[in-house]
Amino acid sequence: MDLPTQLLAQPDALWLDLAANSREAALCGLHARLALSPAVTDAPQFLHGLLERAMLAPVCIAPDVALPHARTDAVARVVLGVARIALPGVGFDAAHPAVRLVFMVGTPKQQVEDYLLAVAAITRVLKAEGVHAGLLAARTEAEFAALLARGAQR
Amino acid sequence: MKHAAIDPAIELLRRLQRLLRWRLWVREKLQLSEWQITLLWAALAGFLGAMASMVFSALSEGVHELLTGSSAGVVESMRHLPWWGCLLVPTLGGAAAGLVLLYGSRLTRSQSSTDYMEAIVIGNGRVPVRASLVKSTAALFSIGSGGSIGREGPMVQLSAVAASLLGRWRLFTGPQLRLLVACGASAGIASAYNAPIAGSFFVAEIILGSIAMESLGPLAVSAVVATLTIRVLTAAQVMYRVPEFQLNSPWEMGPYVLLGLLTGTLAPMFLRSLKQAEEFFLSLRLPIVARLALGGLAVGAIAINVPQVCGNGYSVVVQILNGPVVWKVLLGVVACKWLATMASFGSGAPGGVFTPSLFMGASAGYLFGGAVHAVWPAGAANPGAFALVGMGAFLSAASRAPVMAVIMLFEMTLSYDIILPLMLCSVIAYYTAKGLAGESLYSASLRRKAAEEPEPLLPAGRVSDLMRADPPTIPAAARFAEIARTFLSVRVNNLYVRDDEGRFLGAVSLHDIKPYLGQPELAELVIARDILREDFPRIGPDRTLSDALGMFLGFTAERLPVVAPDSGRLLGSLAKGDLLLALVENRRKPVA
Repeated sequence: MDLPTQLLAQPDALWLDLAANSREAALCGLHARLALSPAVTDAPQFLHGLLERAMLAPVCIAPDVALPHARTDAVARVVLGVARIALPGVGFDAAHPAVRLVFMVGTPKQQVEDYLLAVAAITRVLKAEGVHAGLLAARTEAEFAALLARGAQR
Repeated sequence: MKHAAIDPAIELLRRLQRLLRWRLWVREKLQLSEWQITLLWAALAGFLGAMASMVFSALSEGVHELLTGSSAGVVESMRHLPWWGCLLVPTLGGAAAGLVLLYGSRLTRSQSSTDYMEAIVIGNGRVPVRASLVKSTAALFSIGSGGSIGREGPMVQLSAVAASLLGRWRLFTGPQLRLLVACGASAGIASAYNAPIAGSFFVAEIILGSIAMESLGPLAVSAVVATLTIRVLTAAQVMYRVPEFQLNSPWEMGPYVLLGLLTGTLAPMFLRSLKQAEEFFLSLRLPIVARLALGGLAVGAIAINVPQVCGNGYSVVVQILNGPVVWKVLLGVVACKWLATMASFGSGAPGGVFTPSLFMGASAGYLFGGAVHAVWPAGAANPGAFALVGMGAFLSAASRAPVMAVIMLFEMTLSYDIILPLMLCSVIAYYTAKGLAGESLYSASLRRKAAEEPEPLLPAGRVSDLMRADPPTIPAAARFAEIARTFLSVRVNNLYVRDDEGRFLGAVSLHDIKPYLGQPELAELVIARDILREDFPRIGPDRTLSDALGMFLGFTAERLPVVAPDSGRLLGSLAKGDLLLALVENRRKPVA
């Protein structure tokens, strides 16, 4: 199983109906869950990298999907956290006022190729027919995770 | 099954992405490397060199016609002049050359040496234009008036000037400019002798002292283009048409060994006599106009009875090669030609002694072959073959470039039959001349080089000496689409990323992003900072070129970013090609 498929089939953190009222709250919430992974070696530094990157340029790939990411020495391997924010979603920037799905990626600094592989795979999965709507409608974490895994294997 | 309607804007975006990916693919496949670009410039230098040589050749013929009233060859023209004409024409030519040099020196007082060899070997590749034009104009008079001197020197000089101007216009770095001037010189020799291989090897062996492909490749391209240009625009053919020669027995090689020893002894004597003549004329303390006029007068005085001494000796060599020639007559002509060349060269007449050297070799070879034939007919069936081999051997000994001499003789005659004796004889002549010490035709420039540099193994100098300013860069926040567009517009495989203060942050590699060009979602999401390689090697401007070489050995990029060690600012880039050229130049052979 290649890296993107493995990541999407078994994300390091998964959180449905994350309650947040701002971009920072959403990022901090998912980050706190993702930081539980042993692959995150320096949680504050990772969060700093995520916030810094989000402030530098938009991180959204669809009107309601954000892909905050950081290339940082604070992770030992590529990590992925996925969250679905409770309605009505949160605004990430002016063009994306109601983000519902958040894919948080952390990549070791040297692994540029892995970073691009992961980001490209996530965008590809979201384009797959029915996945985007299915993720928004999933009732359980198991259903959500199964959709992601199926999307990754297509 | 119903198909969902596709948004025209999305469809357009997809098509643009496909187009972008396709263009990048094509660009990457067809992208010219540094060396390929160098070859293109070398080709242009070759073309310009050929044009410069043709212009000089036409002008020298024009001057000759003006002074003698004849459009025939130099020897023929002088043969038909009355005795006073033989005296007057070379004297006037010498005086005119002197006047040009005298008044020209006022225009060129601040300029350095015009020697293209110095510009290549010890200079920065900048051949002074005005000084070269003055010297070449003076050469028009000394050559056009029948001076015993070759015209290949000014032709090569002008060709090198054209290349130098081209490189300066394109703001070439020092090593690039020196290589381009070397290409110009190669083109000049190739044009003068219709000999592209010899042109390349002349510069590689004598001036650069290296036949590494980094330098030989551009030299060859330049010489080929120059030769093609000459062949297309003129009726240039094989320079010396010779009868077929045959080696009937291995025993015939014996006399060729002796010929090698003879020419290897004669060549240093010939060069030494030229030097002594130069010292003699200088000791007269005459003004330059009078000195050159005196040199011309001496040539004219000899030419009254022996007009064959005028010019570079080409027509006489053709006669010798196609024989038969009466040996007593030839002996007299050789002695007179030797004196005439001493007069022309010694008085300071601008021109070359390359072709006169060929004359001396052909004559020595023919006379020796005739002598052997007289006592052992089977050992030297055709003295003309000895003349041919003698030319190459004499040139080998005089220039201390046996490879070039062998190739040049082969190219000028296209006679493969002489290769075996020619190779043997040239090598023996080379070692004989070397053993007798003395200088080669081109020692002066190269000796100065040796005095300046103790031949280091690794290139001397600092990174800043070879640094190119303003490498292609992108800001850290540049989006994926902008990065792809920049890769399309510049020929690099790594784009340097810098922050608002100009500090170097790392590099984005074309190799990394290539697989993702078809994903429009990434175009807006990914920025340079996301994919830059912070560990991309960099070097400070004060580091040595040896340090840079060590860094290039460790990774595959064509360029290194040059970064100020204190501020981290990106100052420029160092090209691997420039560094390798500097390395090649530093591995030149010891001076002959």
